[in-house]
Amino acid sequence: MEIPLHISIVLIFSPLLLGIIGKTKAFFAGRWGPPLLQPYYDIVKLFRKGSVYSTSTTWIFQAAPIVCMAAALTSSMLMPMGGLKAPLPFWGDILLFAGLYGLARFIMILAALDTGSSFEGMGASREATFSCLAEIVLFLDFIIMALLTKKLVLSQMVGDVLSSSWHTAGAVFLLMGGSYYMVLLTENARIPVDDPATHLELTMIHEVMVLDHSGWDLGLILYGSTVKLFVLGALLINILLPSHNQSVLIQMVEFFVGMMVLALSMGVVESCMARLRLNRIPQLLMVAFVLALVGLLVVLNKGM
Amino acid sequence: MNLFLYSLIILTGSVFLILLTARLRHISSGIFLVSLMAGSVLGLVSAVNTLVSRFSWGYHLNIRMPLGEFYIGLDPLSAFFLLAIIILFLLAGIYGYGYLKDEKKNVSVHYALYNLALIALMLVVTAKNGILFLMAWELVTISSYFLITFYDERQDVRDAGYLFLIATHVGVFCLWLMFFLMASHTGSMNFDQMMLSSFPPALAGVLFILGIIGFGVKAGFIPLHIWLPHAHPAAPSHVSAVLSAVMIKVGIYGLMRLIVIIKVFPEWCAILLFLIGMISGVGGVLYALGQHEIKKLLAYHSIENIGIITLGLSIGLWGQIVHNEFVTMIGYAGALLHVFNHAVFKGLLFLSAGSVIRATHTGEIDHMGGLLKKLPWTGHLFLIGSLSICGLPLFNGFVSEWLVFRSLFEGMFHLKMNAIIFSGLGIIALALMGGLAAACFCKAFGTIFLGNSRLVDDSHVKESSWVLCLPMAILGGICLWVGLFPSTMVSFALNAASTISSVEISPLMEGTVLSPLLTLVIVLVILIIVTAALFLFKRMAMKILPVHQAPTWGCGYSDPTSRMQYTASSFAESLLRIFRNVLGFHVKGADPQGYFPKAPEVSSHVVEASEDLIFRPVFGCIKFLSAKLKMIQCGYTQMYLLYIFVFLLALLIWKMV
Amino acid sequence: MLWLDLALISIVFLGIVILGNNRLRTTIQLFALQSFILSLVPLMVHPGVHAMILSVGTFILKVVIMPTLFFWAIRHVSIRREAQPLISYGKTLLLGGFLIGVAFLISSRLDLPDKGISNLLVPCAFSVIMIGFLLLVSRFKAITQIIGYLVMENGIFLFAQLLLEKTPLLVEMGILLDIFVGVLVMGIVVNHISQEFDSASTVNLINLRG
Repeated sequence: MEIPLHISIVLIFSPLLLGIIGKTKAFFAGRWGPPLLQPYYDIVKLFRKGSVYSTSTTWIFQAAPIVCMAAALTSSMLMPMGGLKAPLPFWGDILLFAGLYGLARFIMILAALDTGSSFEGMGASREATFSCLAEIVLFLDFIIMALLTKKLVLSQMVGDVLSSSWHTAGAVFLLMGGSYYMVLLTENARIPVDDPATHLELTMIHEVMVLDHSGWDLGLILYGSTVKLFVLGALLINILLPSHNQSVLIQMVEFFVGMMVLALSMGVVESCMARLRLNRIPQLLMVAFVLALVGLLVVLNKGM
Repeated sequence: MNLFLYSLIILTGSVFLILLTARLRHISSGIFLVSLMAGSVLGLVSAVNTLVSRFSWGYHLNIRMPLGEFYIGLDPLSAFFLLAIIILFLLAGIYGYGYLKDEKKNVSVHYALYNLALIALMLVVTAKNGILFLMAWELVTISSYFLITFYDERQDVRDAGYLFLIATHVGVFCLWLMFFLMASHTGSMNFDQMMLSSFPPALAGVLFILGIIGFGVKAGFIPLHIWLPHAHPAAPSHVSAVLSAVMIKVGIYGLMRLIVIIKVFPEWCAILLFLIGMISGVGGVLYALGQHEIKKLLAYHSIENIGIITLGLSIGLWGQIVHNEFVTMIGYAGALLHVFNHAVFKGLLFLSAGSVIRATHTGEIDHMGGLLKKLPWTGHLFLIGSLSICGLPLFNGFVSEWLVFRSLFEGMFHLKMNAIIFSGLGIIALALMGGLAAACFCKAFGTIFLGNSRLVDDSHVKESSWVLCLPMAILGGICLWVGLFPSTMVSFALNAASTISSVEISPLMEGTVLSPLLTLVIVLVILIIVTAALFLFKRMAMKILPVHQAPTWGCGYSDPTSRMQYTASSFAESLLRIFRNVLGFHVKGADPQGYFPKAPEVSSHVVEASEDLIFRPVFGCIKFLSAKLKMIQCGYTQMYLLYIFVFLLALLIWKMV
Repeated sequence: MLWLDLALISIVFLGIVILGNNRLRTTIQLFALQSFILSLVPLMVHPGVHAMILSVGTFILKVVIMPTLFFWAIRHVSIRREAQPLISYGKTLLLGGFLIGVAFLISSRLDLPDKGISNLLVPCAFSVIMIGFLLLVSRFKAITQIIGYLVMENGIFLFAQLLLEKTPLLVEMGILLDIFVGVLVMGIVVNHISQEFDSASTVNLINLRG
């Protein structure tokens, strides 16, 4: 019973994040901007269009968007949202969490190489590189959370234990949050790692990988990326939410407000920074790595 | 237990029969297939029996052997390895029969040696006596040398064979030393009696180092791995498959047996294993990224997976040292399950690589492309192998990596500060390995099977016959089965793990390991259901919406060719550039000069550090010193008589003093 | 307690960001921010009149006067970016992380009689000193080297917070004055370097060898 509820909440609210980011960017640029529900209209429009398939492609090209969306939706099964508990938690599910996104990424890279075009090959190569580095930082963050809570279940790692140790381990949350925010930007292809608005060769990683997708495929990819943003952002919000002892409704409201603040912050970052040069992105991830490393050192220091 | 002996007898008899009927090709091939299948089935049944019933038995044979006795035994640890060995040898043998069908050479000798290698491996994992173990080890080396150098008309194959022999024998030397030290301390060569006595920490440490060198050469620890990347491409594909999948693992088996015998180790042994695991793992996959030949790439990935197995082994060893049973069991179980899983998916990958090489007559990845449409079975099975080796959910690689990760996390929770630091490093190394392996296999699968063909003329490429595809399909099926229904193999692995640490598994412990796996399977089932649902929606929509086909947009070029695609080297270049200091990555090539430049050549390659920085200088030094010693051999008999006289004089003086 | 921890961690955080930065304006701004947070630390450790004076003094000196001096120096010699440092930025960051680890290790082994209010004070102080030293050693432009020296001073200041009640105020103010004069002299030297060599890179100082 919880599973359809979980999936529906995720499906309904994820594109709203993109809408908020768009409105924030427009505000900074002095425009009115597209309506808040624009991503929904985009997705529906794409679902009503036909497709053009390249003669070089195989079934992998058509399967990749489906697998991406399915992986993102399934990963939401492991993620609690405010007061709503995760439907299927189990010991060690953070590894499945990372593995599902790895599967989605693998198939997307294969789909990009499937077209036999050098554009997509370039995007695939860059995506493979940066996701390797981002994964190290992600696992370092997992190590910090595991050491703080001594648990390996995602719902319990971001739950009560974490929130009550704000007083003693607040500094660690700052560091971990900072490094996870950078991983969030990398994984979801936002500025300063990738520019989601253009299709220029110089700037893109994810946008160029899906250059040849159209119609339903593109719609599923767009939807899947919003779900991914929602679920990965939910992890951050769950860590930073102040308390978990109140009623379910208040926690849900807090959660959604937190998600909107997150989307707002991403819009601010997109408006204030330019995309980094490609060979500076490993440095950004290195900063995230060092931050997480310092957080780990602080945790170990307290343990001693 | 008798079944195992019958299987050994059948296989031994078949070796002689095949050699007898070597000229009559059809008969010898038939005998080979029948004996292989019969022996394998019997061996499999006995292995599964032992694993399910957790009962160990032994068998003595009263034949006179120099210094030792013929004492074999089957306990769950041996049975687990036997499972992997037999499955791989059976399927690779059937594949080999089809692969070598068109060869003009005499393949019967090859078949006989194949069966001999199988017998030798079965003896190695069941030997309970040190001398029998070493003799079987030698037999494995010799038979695999002949199997590897099947195409010995080629110079590089002969060189690879020599390197393999020399490297393995350096290891065997250390093993002989180790076993004799153990026997002199405990007074017997039988493993059972060795287990009863206790070893002082210093001796345990020395034995461990000898074991690491001896077994590590076989297993492929960096920097002892240099024979691997040469031997795998040189051998025929089914031999590469069993070499990588199974023969490397007996090195791991040896280490595990050593741990069983010497139960208590100092802590630095576990730290050493950790370091070896991390360096082999990350180094193996980084080198694999830089390879352009498919079998060499797969060979380096074997080194990476040995690193993962060693990581699990090391955390298990640490748990054993500090007497934490749970961490020990999970660590060993993760390592063992990865041994089996790696055997299955690496065998699958090598067999499908062989199928590709057979179809295109080249191993260079950068020349291929778009083969998924021409070789559907091979391609899709390679995809299953790639998904498994990257440790992605739904397949078996994920389950064993999940176990190893979990053992490292549990080590962090339950053990002390040193272990926390190393477990943390191990987790990060494993994450890095997973990401890099995914990148490498995207590169390999994408360049070979997707896109358009680059240089290979693929009009004459056709799919391999069913004899070649059936073993691959069975292996792929096993990958999928263990990925979706992991409980059986995990409980087998736990049984074998309990043998290593000599700890009884409690049902509570087994439940703690197995119950998350059930929920994991449920989540995976949901993944499949959601995928199927989305697929159905899309199918319904596609019936109404217009769909067109067109060639890929050529980025604005009026005459795009397939060579404009990204090649494997271009794909891996950005990653290799980040790690260029570790790998010695060079790009050679001139920029176009002048206004009407000729076609420039650009090439990139990765330097194999161990060869160039460690072994070549050392061997060069030895050669130099030996050359200096040559002057003793001057040719005059008077000088030699003088040597004898001087030596006798020295002896007399020494005795007087 | 929480706020002190947050302040200390943000000081280290800003130090790391300075390490990875190659724009001079941003480096000076980050240093000003770091000094601002630093000036709040005495108020959190030992609130009182003594701490108030120290805080205000640090604020005026390190957040107002020195950055202004630097901005003036940059505009005067018109340099924008740092040239490629001795070791590349990625390796610098990794080395910085390693040195922070070493700092934590050292401070866990040190046998200090009075740990201070927070567990993190000593490790963070050492980390900042190490980061400052790394900046000093690995960069070519004189301005960045001065910033490195000042970051090191920040770290020493943090360490001195442990002994706040025992050091007379005069000594602290004397130290601050010392730094001020030192920076003034360095600013003049930078000016002369750039006039002489037409660039503000200290590499050219090699030409002064005998």
